[in-house]
This record gives sequence, C-alpha cells and structure tokens, in this order.
Amino acid sequence: MTLLSDTRYIFIRYLTKLVRTPILLFFSLFQPLLFLLLFTQLLGRLSSFPGILPVGVSYLSFATAGIVMMNAFGSALQSGNSIVADIDSGFLQKMLVTPVNRPAILLGRLSSDAFRVVLQTAIILVLAYALGAHVTTGVVGILLIFFTLAFFGLAWSGISLAIGMKTRSSETVFAIGGVITFPLLFLSPALFPISFLPKWVGDVSMFNPVSYCVTATRALMINGYQWSTILPAWGVIGLVAVITMSATLYQFRKVVS
Amino acid sequence: MSDIITVRNLVEVYSDGTKAVDDISFSVQEGEFFGFLGPNGAGKSTTIKILTTLLRKTSGTVTVAGYDVVKQAADIRKIIGVQSQETTVDGDLTGRENITLQGHFHQMNTDDIKKRVNELLSLVGLEEAADRRGRNYSGGMKKRLDLATALVHKPKILFLDEPTTGLDPQSRAAIWSYLEKLNKEEDITIFLTTQYLEEADKLCKRLSIIDAGKIVASGSPIELKRQIGADSIRISLENCQKDGPNAKELIKTMTDVTEIIDSEECLTVYAKNAGLLIADIVRALDSSGIRIASVTFSSPSLDDVFMKHTGRRIRAEDYVKAPSTMGGRFGGRR
Repeated sequence: MTLLSDTRYIFIRYLTKLVRTPILLFFSLFQPLLFLLLFTQLLGRLSSFPGILPVGVSYLSFATAGIVMMNAFGSALQSGNSIVADIDSGFLQKMLVTPVNRPAILLGRLSSDAFRVVLQTAIILVLAYALGAHVTTGVVGILLIFFTLAFFGLAWSGISLAIGMKTRSSETVFAIGGVITFPLLFLSPALFPISFLPKWVGDVSMFNPVSYCVTATRALMINGYQWSTILPAWGVIGLVAVITMSATLYQFRKVVS
Repeated sequence: MSDIITVRNLVEVYSDGTKAVDDISFSVQEGEFFGFLGPNGAGKSTTIKILTTLLRKTSGTVTVAGYDVVKQAADIRKIIGVQSQETTVDGDLTGRENITLQGHFHQMNTDDIKKRVNELLSLVGLEEAADRRGRNYSGGMKKRLDLATALVHKPKILFLDEPTTGLDPQSRAAIWSYLEKLNKEEDITIFLTTQYLEEADKLCKRLSIIDAGKIVASGSPIELKRQIGADSIRISLENCQKDGPNAKELIKTMTDVTEIIDSEECLTVYAKNAGLLIADIVRALDSSGIRIASVTFSSPSLDDVFMKHTGRRIRAEDYVKAPSTMGGRFGGRR
C-alpha cells in the first residue's frame, strides 16, 4: 500500500524537521508552560474559597486540563504554516510530480501533528505532576487524554490547513489562529469553573466544542472514567473533524489538481 | 528516432484571461537535448508545468512517452524527473536524506535507493557535504542537490526549468557538464528552458525560441544562426552623437552591407563577409576624421536570431554577483 508507506515517509520528514528545530517546540510550549507555571500561581488561592472548585481539587489540577487543551490548540493551528511553507518553497510541487500517494501528503502531515500534540501534552503533564497535579485514572487515563487531545488537535489542524492552502499566507494562518484560540478558550470552562463565570458565558460555552473536550480531559484527570462526559466529547470532536477535514480536502483537491 | 514528447496546438489561458501559451506545437525526439529559449514570462515554465502534469492545459494535445498528459498523468510521473525554477531542497534534511526521500516517493526499495544515492552524490560532487543539512549549502550546491533528487529513479525524461538561473559562472559550468554527461552516457532525454543564450547554444541539439507564448523559430542552433545570413560588426565611436549619422551614411553605401542599425554601442552593421569589410569601414571613418573607440566583429548569435524574430534582445537576469566563496563553500542561510 503506497498510502501507508508514503504517509510514513512524510510523517518521518516532518518529525525530522521538528526534532532538528527544537526551538519551534520551545515556542509552542512557551505559552502553555507560562500558564502552567505562572497563571496557576496567580490564581492558586481560588481553592481556598469554598464552592468554586470541587472539594479537594487544587487550582493547578483544575487548570492543567485547560492548559493541555490550549497547547493542542496552538500546535494544531501551526499545521497550516507547514503547508504554506511547502507550497512557497515548491516542495509540494516537487512531491506532486512524483507518483507519491496524494492523500498520504495530508495524512503524513496530520499524523505528525497528532504526534506533536501527544509529545507536548506529555511534557506538560510531567511538569504538572512535578508541581502536584496527578491524573487519577493512571496510565490508561493518560492514554485516553492523549487520544482525546490528538483527536481534537487533528480536528483543528483541519482549519489551519484549509486556511493555509486557501490563502497561502502564514501571516493569515497565525492571525486567524490567534483570533479563534483565546475566545474559544475563555468562553469555555478551560481555565475557570462554569459556576465561577457569568451566566451568559456559561450559556455560550454549551455551544463551544472546546468545552466538551476540556470537560472530558478534566474528568479523566480528576474524577475518573466519566463516560457520560467523555463519549459526547469524542462525538463533538468527530463532528468538528468532519467539517474541518471536508474543508481541508476541498482545498487540497484544488491545490493538487 | 521516435518522438517522446509531442505537443499540438497547446493553449493555456489563466483564470485572469492571460494567454500564457498561445497555440504552440513542437516535438522532442527520444534521447534529444531540446531547449526552450526565451525571456521571462515567455511561457516556458507554463509549458513545463503542463508537460509535467502540474498544470491543466486549456486546450491542445500533449503526450509524454506516448501517455496523454491528462488521462495518464500517473504513468508520466513514474518516468519523468523535474527540476523546477525555484530550488526545492528541504533545508532541515541532509543532502542524502533529500535524495532518499525522493526515492521513496518513487516507490524504490531501500537497497536500490542507497546505491543510487551514492552514485548521484558523486555525480554532482556532493559526497563530502552529503550528511550536512541542506540549509547550509551554497546556492550552487542546492541546485546540484536538487538536480540529483530529480534523477533518483533514473527518469527517461528530465525536465529542467532554468536550471542555472541565479548561479555564478563556475557553478553554471559544473551543471552544464553534468547535464551533457547525463544526456550522452545515461541516454536521458532532456527538455530545458533557459533565458541564457550561451546555455541554449552550448547544450541544445535543437531548440525553439519562444516569446509572448508563441514559438517564433525552431531548429538547431547552427541552422537558426545560418538563417540570419549575416555577420555583425559593432562599432562604437568616441563621439557617437556627433559622428554617428555621418558614419552611418558612409557605411551604408558599401557593398555587402545588408543592414545598419543604431545599437547600444553606437552602430551595428550586418553584412556578408563582414571580416573583409572591417578594414574598409575603419579606413573610411578615419579619412573622414571620425574617431573610433572600438570595433567588434561577431558571427550571428542566438541573440541575433531572437532579435530578428521579435525585434528585441533577450535580457537575461544578471548573474547573481556572488561572493567568491559561493563556489563550493557554505553560503549560509538564504
């Protein structure tokens, strides 16, 4: 199957690029780490006010789910830049004059995105653990968190890939990425419990896919296997993925033909 | 020999209405070194993109190795090698990795790739730099690596879109010698586009001159130059403004002069047996008190051929005035 082997070669190419420019990893981890190390300190006393956080849960443990979410967002939105870079440099064209499997070009990119999300999530979780935030569900729970975030990352990669291929400008990808990320994070329980937020934010967050994903991740970290939160989250991510991937495929067809 | 590329009435109209290629027809024989010579924007790259399945033609018939360029694009991609105008080397990968990756894209097995990569690295003289990252290569080295990546699967036809644009003369000469070797020894058909006259003259067995989307002349460099039928004498005077018109009158009456035009240096005289005429011209100008700064004599060049068909000279982009270290050392990040 050329689809699988070509996906593997393209995956390895992106991975090699990532490993050889570790500064990129640093930059995309910078913001989540800032939140993990600093923001959680600033709001650390939230847990001493009764009724805001669940009993016995530190703000650090609470916020970690939102921070890994933020991280998945950030790296997914960089995906579009890589395709812009390949279009600009002519590398995409260079691939297209070979018999390389066309879908593998996308799959190779997406799988490297997923890998990156998992890698960065692992780094954040290790640091969070060192600071005192534990994943109660253990190894299996961590794997499920990886899965949830990688899946979420793929769904959002679709947006930046589609924008990247449409506009062929990494500035636009960054700008739109920035515009989407924060409102979606702040209009969700990523960093604050819903009970703490104004009512309208709570209402809006019901329609925010990020809310479902962050709640599921938090459940796995703090509460245990709450399938009634986890499964709907996967459903919502799947729905987002169908939409963004359709847009990506549509743009990709135009670029390839 | 049989035709390996045939193009009939090819037209390419861009979505903004620009006619990039305007009804061209030509063919390339198997094993031939064929070229498109023309200035920027003549339609050279557009034609290559159509031939290499990257761009869909508006109309016309195009076959490569007997395959239809639209319906059998997948078959064509297996047997062509392409070097595009932009040098496309992945700067994060080493030279060896760049070539290897292309080998994988061509579904070659790992052992074959390893062997071929070593062959190619030595062909383009990059053995020493093989395991350094592409971004540290100089401009010339990147072009050579790019050429190697296009050759990994031993293509039957090699498409080169301005393979030496922007290179210093030394790197250019190196590329030329690899290309001649490939064409002769590995029997690869080569289709090259260029805006450099010497390049077309030196490499191509046959070429088409293309301007504004149309082919204006085709033939071997020798045939094309023979069509001009006249040598040229370029004369520059110490005071062209003052003496130019007089000199023109004097020379016009001489036998064998077919044409005399104002040119950059001052005057260009086209004539049969121009060599014999030089003495007459010098004598005539001297006795009229017109001081000559220089006289150059040349046989017809492809530039003259282009001039004859289009009324203009090809203005190639200047060579990149590279520091002398660019030849083989590292030029740093682009």
